[in-house]
Amino acid sequence: MLAMSAIQPSSPTHADASFRAAVRLLASLMPDAPIATGSEPPLESLAQATEPPRTVEAILIEDAAMRAHRVFEPPVAQFAAFLDGTQASRTLYSCDDGTPIVHGTAAAVIRERRNKRLYTRRHVVAHRLYANRRRVPGWLWARLAESGMELRDTAEEEGGDGSHPFASRDAAIHRLQRDREQAEHALAEEWCRHDDRPILIDGGISGVDTVARSSCAVGVIKSHRTLYAEGDALVKIFALRRGERSSVFRVASEWRTPVASWYLRLRDRAGTDPMWGLVRVEVAHPERVDEGAIGARADEVSRWILAEATPVSLPDGRWDKMVYGVRDCEEFLRAVL
Amino acid sequence: MTETIDVGLTTGAPPPLGRVVATERKPNTPHEFHFWTALDSPVGIGTIVRVEGDQPVNGQIPQIYGIVVEGFSYTDLATPLHDVLGHDGTPGGASLAATHRAEIRLYTAAVLRQMPEEPLQPVPMGRVYLAADDDVAVALRMDGYLRGDNRTGIPVGVYRAGGTDAPIYLDADFLIGPEAAHLNITGVSGLATKTSAIEWILASIFAHFPEKKGSVAALCFNVKGPDLCFLDQPGKIDEADKALYEKCGVPAEPFENVQYFAPYKPDGFSLNTLRSNEQLLGNVSSLTWGLREVLQYAEVLLNKDDVDAKADALIDFIRERIVDRDFTDPLLGNKSYRVRSFADLEQWFKDVLSAMENRGNEGWRTHHVATIRKVRNRLSNISTRCAGLVTDDGGVSDLPFGSFQDRTVYVIDVASLEEDAQDLIFARVVTKLREHLEKRDLGVNHVIVFVDELNKYAPTDGQDTYVRKMLLDLAERGRYLGLVLFSAQQFRSQVHRRVVGNSGTALYGRMDADELATPGYSVLSPAVKTKLATLEKGQLMVRHPHFTQPIFVRFPRPAIMRGRDGAEQYPQAVDIELDAAVLRSLRTLDPSLTLGWLRDAIGIRDDEEVIRARNATLRERPADVKKFFQSQLRPAAVTHTPVRPLAPAVRSSPADDPYGF
Repeated sequence: MLAMSAIQPSSPTHADASFRAAVRLLASLMPDAPIATGSEPPLESLAQATEPPRTVEAILIEDAAMRAHRVFEPPVAQFAAFLDGTQASRTLYSCDDGTPIVHGTAAAVIRERRNKRLYTRRHVVAHRLYANRRRVPGWLWARLAESGMELRDTAEEEGGDGSHPFASRDAAIHRLQRDREQAEHALAEEWCRHDDRPILIDGGISGVDTVARSSCAVGVIKSHRTLYAEGDALVKIFALRRGERSSVFRVASEWRTPVASWYLRLRDRAGTDPMWGLVRVEVAHPERVDEGAIGARADEVSRWILAEATPVSLPDGRWDKMVYGVRDCEEFLRAVL
Repeated sequence: MTETIDVGLTTGAPPPLGRVVATERKPNTPHEFHFWTALDSPVGIGTIVRVEGDQPVNGQIPQIYGIVVEGFSYTDLATPLHDVLGHDGTPGGASLAATHRAEIRLYTAAVLRQMPEEPLQPVPMGRVYLAADDDVAVALRMDGYLRGDNRTGIPVGVYRAGGTDAPIYLDADFLIGPEAAHLNITGVSGLATKTSAIEWILASIFAHFPEKKGSVAALCFNVKGPDLCFLDQPGKIDEADKALYEKCGVPAEPFENVQYFAPYKPDGFSLNTLRSNEQLLGNVSSLTWGLREVLQYAEVLLNKDDVDAKADALIDFIRERIVDRDFTDPLLGNKSYRVRSFADLEQWFKDVLSAMENRGNEGWRTHHVATIRKVRNRLSNISTRCAGLVTDDGGVSDLPFGSFQDRTVYVIDVASLEEDAQDLIFARVVTKLREHLEKRDLGVNHVIVFVDELNKYAPTDGQDTYVRKMLLDLAERGRYLGLVLFSAQQFRSQVHRRVVGNSGTALYGRMDADELATPGYSVLSPAVKTKLATLEKGQLMVRHPHFTQPIFVRFPRPAIMRGRDGAEQYPQAVDIELDAAVLRSLRTLDPSLTLGWLRDAIGIRDDEEVIRARNATLRERPADVKKFFQSQLRPAAVTHTPVRPLAPAVRSSPADDPYGF
């Protein structure tokens, strides 16, 4: 069973699966074992980014070559809501062979904007324990399962027979990441099914077909580990000025629904970082490629995003790329985790 | 399994307006807690709230009542500079932002009451509700004196917040005595708050003071302008005021029974009050005292530099042996004296000094001639300094000590008097009240004495005057007798601390910032001080023994004519001739009197005699005013026109003398 917490009191039928509850449970099962105290840093802060930086040649669906487009019309606030998710994990206990039992929390929220204020429309918080079942003592796994806590076996993510504790830890983080994405996707799908007002999603939208094909979902990607341009095209993108967007291109992969995408500069480039204030936008790929319509759609959505440049997301370090609605989602999730 | 949770309000029970929060840096205590609210909540400084705890204590869900004393608001900004950067230094750009920043309204509340009261614990986390009428009564412990037959509540105003409109009651046992007593009000001048509040509370007391606790009257000293001169005349109030009167169960009417007293002007026949319009003279009486009344309080008028031990001894001798007694002395020959007035006393002094001079004596009955001269000088001076109040002829017109009426206001107008005369009136009246209350023969069981400008009569610093000593005595011991002090001043910090400290109930109108900076207000939070500095007309902050924290209330405009309006509608009578003034006075007894009759009656008698006759008539209030008045005048001497005899001619001329020689 998935344990939940929310602003309303939890139902008594749900087991308390918070970090502290998990610590208490383990302490009761193994009174003399060294259990986490809660002062340990989250694993996310220790893990290195695993995705290697790369460039991918874009398949343009607007213009013959990558170029800058000035968004002439003034910004206009059109997003009705913002969606973001987060995760946090800590090692609860390390078995004798070093295999970690990780407590992970995945959460996501939709914050709806009404009269310029943001209110929670829906949110989900899920606490779970992550561990490689083959390496955890059977009695312990059984007792944890009996307690009502949801357990995730990370054997699949870990693969092979390696026994390095870090491999188990990374596997737990990856599995938690998938859970977090699932939480985000579930909320995004629900929005797209029941609402046709635009929603700004932090990150890509191609992971869920329903969302990727919805006209109301707009994904905004802040990280640029993968750049969809090479050579001159990349130079054009880095040269974008505030309020300019790139040509629209198609982002597609084997497991994801194709989407239309473009780069947009939210703030004038400052300092040495060419990606300062630069975001990549994803919207549903048009059924039929009509260059004029695609450009108009990109301009329209760009105006919506530019309108979100204020208020700035300071004091968040990513404020150059982060719209305030997403920061608000993060603050909310930080408060309820 | 994945679940999502709707976040919304449940319907049915009234929604909480806030939630208690506490952090390590800002923890809750048994006397203070913090809570946050929605941005549009009706909570403000002075709002009373109820906290409902989550966990039962001894099987009872704790209910905590508190009053908001501080408020905070902030956003998720780490520094104001971020906002500047976010809007490129253009303030106007902020309005274009698509989203308002996350913002908090965080309040600090002081605990009014915890239920259960034991064990006294820090305020727990819980939901915060706006206090309803019943909650307000419990929070302020009014439930203890608003129940059944033992109800002793006196409405002081209405507490208003959100949808709550609850009357706030003072406990008569703690306002009029005997548990505690006295009321002090402070506030800046010019907002008509202090006087209006006193008038409103007197009306409320008259309407709600429990019958079984006895009778109550008020005695007000009108020390400035026409403030208290029209208490019996209806004033203008609006619908909002009427609603407040109705809420508090107080009739929106002027005082039914008011008696005014004022001395004469130095001319001795024109009343020295702004309420001298002929239409209002029906309940205005003169206030005049003679030698006996004044000599008892001579120390009020004579400062210690004037009166040393020797002079004091002589004054005592005069008081005990001379005044109102037959007095003879070998020095004065066979002449017998009975001194009843200042005029008699002056004659006595003259004779004594003359006799000493003739005999070459330096002293008389152990009193040195210089002391006698000094005392003569000082005492004779009194009738000059207090002319109009103190009469040379010994005529007395006084308050009705012994026959005070229940629910009656007695106003003594001292606004136009010199300070000495004001002090004398205050000292004598309060002393007489105390004497009669001690003997239980005043006519009422409780008297509320209202004194404005208390910082003048009982200042923190300055010399220890007789009046200040009296006020201290009144504040400290009056409640046992039923003598209650209602006082007002602009600067509470400048009033003797024992006077304000003994006031069980304290009211505050709009306050001056400088005054609020004095140490006496250090117990108030900065927000409460700010609210005090910006209070509207008709708002008060109330401190009362039952309330653990000050409460803000609204009170209605008094349903009586404002002094300024009264002065316009009933202008002060112009100074008139003696005969017209006497007629005006006598007409209050017999309206049929005419100026013609009066002029015939007084003829060419001197002013003093006419005034004496008038005073005697007013004092006696006879059935036949004409007859009595005339009887007080000495019989007029019969006047004969002298017939001048014709002087005989020096030499009569012959009848036939044609030249007239």
